[in-house]
Amino acid sequence: MKELSLNILDIAMNSVKAKADTVWVTLTETADTFKMQIADNGCGMKEDFLKTVTDPFSTTRTTRKVGMGIPFLLLAAEQTGGSFEITSKHESEYPDSHGTVTTAVFNKNSIDFTPLGDIVSTVTTLIQGSPDIRWIFKHTLPEGEVSLDTDELKEVLGDVPLDNAEVILWIKGYLEEAYSEIE
Amino acid sequence: MTVKELSEKCNFKTAAMPDGDREIDGCYIGDLLSWVMGRAEENNVWITIMSNQNIIAVASLADVACIVLSEGVTVEDSILRLAEEKGVNILLSDKRTYETAVAVYETI
Repeated sequence: MKELSLNILDIAMNSVKAKADTVWVTLTETADTFKMQIADNGCGMKEDFLKTVTDPFSTTRTTRKVGMGIPFLLLAAEQTGGSFEITSKHESEYPDSHGTVTTAVFNKNSIDFTPLGDIVSTVTTLIQGSPDIRWIFKHTLPEGEVSLDTDELKEVLGDVPLDNAEVILWIKGYLEEAYSEIE
Repeated sequence: MTVKELSEKCNFKTAAMPDGDREIDGCYIGDLLSWVMGRAEENNVWITIMSNQNIIAVASLADVACIVLSEGVTVEDSILRLAEEKGVNILLSDKRTYETAVAVYETI
C-alpha cells in the first residue's frame, strides 16, 4: 500500500466484518516510532484461524476469508525494522470479552517507512461506511493529539445520522482543523 | 513463448519451475505488492526485487506466468518450496531490473 492510512482502512474493515460495535483506531507516534493499533469487540478468531491470518495463503482466491491486508501490514512493519502482533478472543470462548487487537510498530527513520497519508479520509470513510459502529479514533503525536469519538458526536447530533453528507463534511473539517492546530 | 524458453533465451537461473510450459503474454514490473496485485495481468512475466512469501500469493492471485527476481536477489528455500507447491515459476536474473526488462522485451 502506498500509504499507511490504506492499511488502517483495510484492517478496520476486518473489524466491520467481525460485526464489532466499537472499534478503536489508536495511532501513537514518537520522534522515531509510529505505532498503529486497531482494536475491536467483534466476534474474534479461534486460535487455529488466528495462526493462519499472517499466511498469505489463508487468504487466496479459493479460501479467502480475510484480505491480503494482514500479510501486507506485517511486511510493511517488518520492512522498517518494526514489529507486528495480532491477538484475538473468539466469542465462543470469551462471551464477555471477545474481539481482536492488531498492532504494528514502524521505525519512522527507515527509508522503507511508508508515510501515513490521508488519515482524515480514512477515518471519514470508515464512519460513513459503518455509521452504526462506535469509532474511537486517537492519534497522539509528539506535538499534540487529535481524537474523535462518534458516541460523543451522536450525543450532540441527536437524531441526525452520522452518514449524513453534511455531518461527514463537518467531521472531515473538524479533523483537518485539529491536525492543522498541532502542526 | 513458454517460461522455460524465456529462461533459456535470457540466461535466467531457474529457482522454481513447477509449470515451465506456461505461455507468456506481456510483462509487468513492480515491487509494491498491493499495487502489483491489482495491475499485473494474467500470463505476464512479473519482474520484482521482493522475495518474501507474499510474492507467491500475489503471483497466484494475479495469475502471472512467472516471477523474475532481478538485481541478483536470492530467495529462501522455504519460499521456493512454497512456489513449487503453489505452481509458481521463479527465475533469477543477475542483471539490473532495467536490463532484465529489456532482455524480456527482446525475447518475448
